[in-house]
Amino acid sequence: MASTAGGKSSNAKLVLLGDAGTGKSSIVLRFVKNQFIDFQESTIGAAFFSQTLTVDDASVKFDIWDTAGQERYHSLAPMYYRGAAAAIVAYDITNQASFDRAKKWVQELQAHGSSGTVVALAGNKADLIDSRKVSAEEARRYAQDNGLLFMETSAKLATNVSEMFSQIAKRLIEAQPAGNPSGTSLLLQTPSSTMPRPSSCCSSS
Amino acid sequence: MNIDETGIGCVKNSSSSASSGRNGIYLPGIEERRIRKWRKMIGVGGSDWKHYVRRKPLVVKRRIRKGIPDCLRGLVWQLISGSRDLLLMNPGVYEQLVIYETSASELDIIRDISRTFPTHVFFQQRHGPGQRSLYNVLKAYSVYDRDVGYVQGMGFLAGLLLLYMSEEDAFWLLVALLKGAVHSPMEGLYQVGLPLVQKYLSQFEQLVKEKFPKLGEHFSEEMVNPSMYASQWFITVFSYSFPFPLALRIWDVFLYEGVKVVFQVGLALLGYCHDELIKLPFEKLVPALKNFPEDAMNPDVLLPMAFSIKVSRRLLELEEEHKKRNQGMLQQSTSSAKQKR
Ligand SMILES: Nc1nc2c(ncn2[C@@H]2O[C@H](COP(=O)(O)OP(=O)(O)OP(=O)(O)O)[C@@H](O)[C@H]2O)c(=O)[nH]1
Ligand SMILES: [Mg+2]
Repeated sequence: MASTAGGKSSNAKLVLLGDAGTGKSSIVLRFVKNQFIDFQESTIGAAFFSQTLTVDDASVKFDIWDTAGQERYHSLAPMYYRGAAAAIVAYDITNQASFDRAKKWVQELQAHGSSGTVVALAGNKADLIDSRKVSAEEARRYAQDNGLLFMETSAKLATNVSEMFSQIAKRLIEAQPAGNPSGTSLLLQTPSSTMPRPSSCCSSS
Repeated sequence: MNIDETGIGCVKNSSSSASSGRNGIYLPGIEERRIRKWRKMIGVGGSDWKHYVRRKPLVVKRRIRKGIPDCLRGLVWQLISGSRDLLLMNPGVYEQLVIYETSASELDIIRDISRTFPTHVFFQQRHGPGQRSLYNVLKAYSVYDRDVGYVQGMGFLAGLLLLYMSEEDAFWLLVALLKGAVHSPMEGLYQVGLPLVQKYLSQFEQLVKEKFPKLGEHFSEEMVNPSMYASQWFITVFSYSFPFPLALRIWDVFLYEGVKVVFQVGLALLGYCHDELIKLPFEKLVPALKNFPEDAMNPDVLLPMAFSIKVSRRLLELEEEHKKRNQGMLQQSTSSAKQKR
């Protein structure tokens, strides 16, 4: 965990949320291994990955939790988004219900997540334009109204996936209070403290 | 899931009596003798089974722990799970569920069909027989129990069963498991709030602390809890992301002895890698807990270790504690709800 020359290195816990089959695992696989699998096994429970990204002269090591999407697994989600520095909420642009579900996740993050969490909305499967059901405009407006990063992505064609992580990293670095690196930011400077922590709003410590 | 070629070969030739040895080595003499013993124990079409189990339960248990011969596995699974009786008591019911009923979960099931064992030859072909029977079983179950419906994870259970038996047989075995034909019902794995997953995880966490105190402490320090690595073990009974040869041997025992073997195998995995795990920081620890070394995946190494870990009594005690804690929480939340009103 050596710092990059002149830059700083930090850890960020990131969680992927969104309806089943929207492409959360595919987005992670694209980001971490630059691969795509046509028939990606559904995620049971949650999967963990880590990947370092360098933006300008700072590097961010993402500790990524990829969760199971089906509503029934909802009760397992809080432990993954609690204390997360960032969240990607994915929907499938060919599926209106998945967009509605994404909005629910955003609401839940706003209500129960940590206040500093950077949230990105990902309209995935952007390669399937012929079957589009959710307009980019509608999603962008929703993202703007709620202070979310927004991108349409395609894990399949590798469109906007690394860009999205870079933008998240940039936001995280910007949010880092200068001169007070261990301040209230959720971006953690110590490599060993990337595990889930009680959110700042609810912990008594 | 890693697919073992010999696994597939055996499975699809399940009527032939030739079978590879437990380490993949072909042992004609020993293997044939083993199968002959098993056939005698079962009787024609399972006719002698119940009698044999009643007379010699320990012999049966010992033989099952050594592995059910692959060519008899499908039949024996149905006998030990109690699903055969359900099937006989409910003629025509499966057909009714599949053909005439509609399910609210149909689209969810379709979404996941090609994402269940996607690299296994039997399930690979789009709309092939494997995918079609998987769809039918899951749909039938989602109608049979509309409250539970279809939940991701069930597909791996059904898929594993379908490698060894017909759709209808697989369906009734799923019913036997989830509704509790011989052991306590497991439908709580899939009910709203996943109550049984929560219970198993809390029991498992405690067992880890008791059996491996140092590792338990390391987990607490690194803030790793079993939900992060073991929920899929329970939700799919090791049928997800474990090599088939190991999963099958676990299922042999699971169907006969019940869920305690899932705890035992989980603990054995931790025990096997104990000295490495204890050194790892969070970001290496979690991946290590999802990716055990190949030598740990050898059933003839792992299972004897698992059986040597005694858990039955503690599981019962921990179940009581969990129940009390839950009741306490329930009372608290209802009383606080009353106060709010
Ligand atoms: N065309 C297209 N298909 C995609 C894209 N991303 C994912 N898929 C496909 O969509 C299906 C679901 O993808 P997953 O990544 O498994 O979805 P998930 O959100 O992780 O689903 P759960 O684990 O069930 O919650 C897979 O068959 C992928 O191949 C994409 O960008 N374009
Ligand atoms: Mg997934």
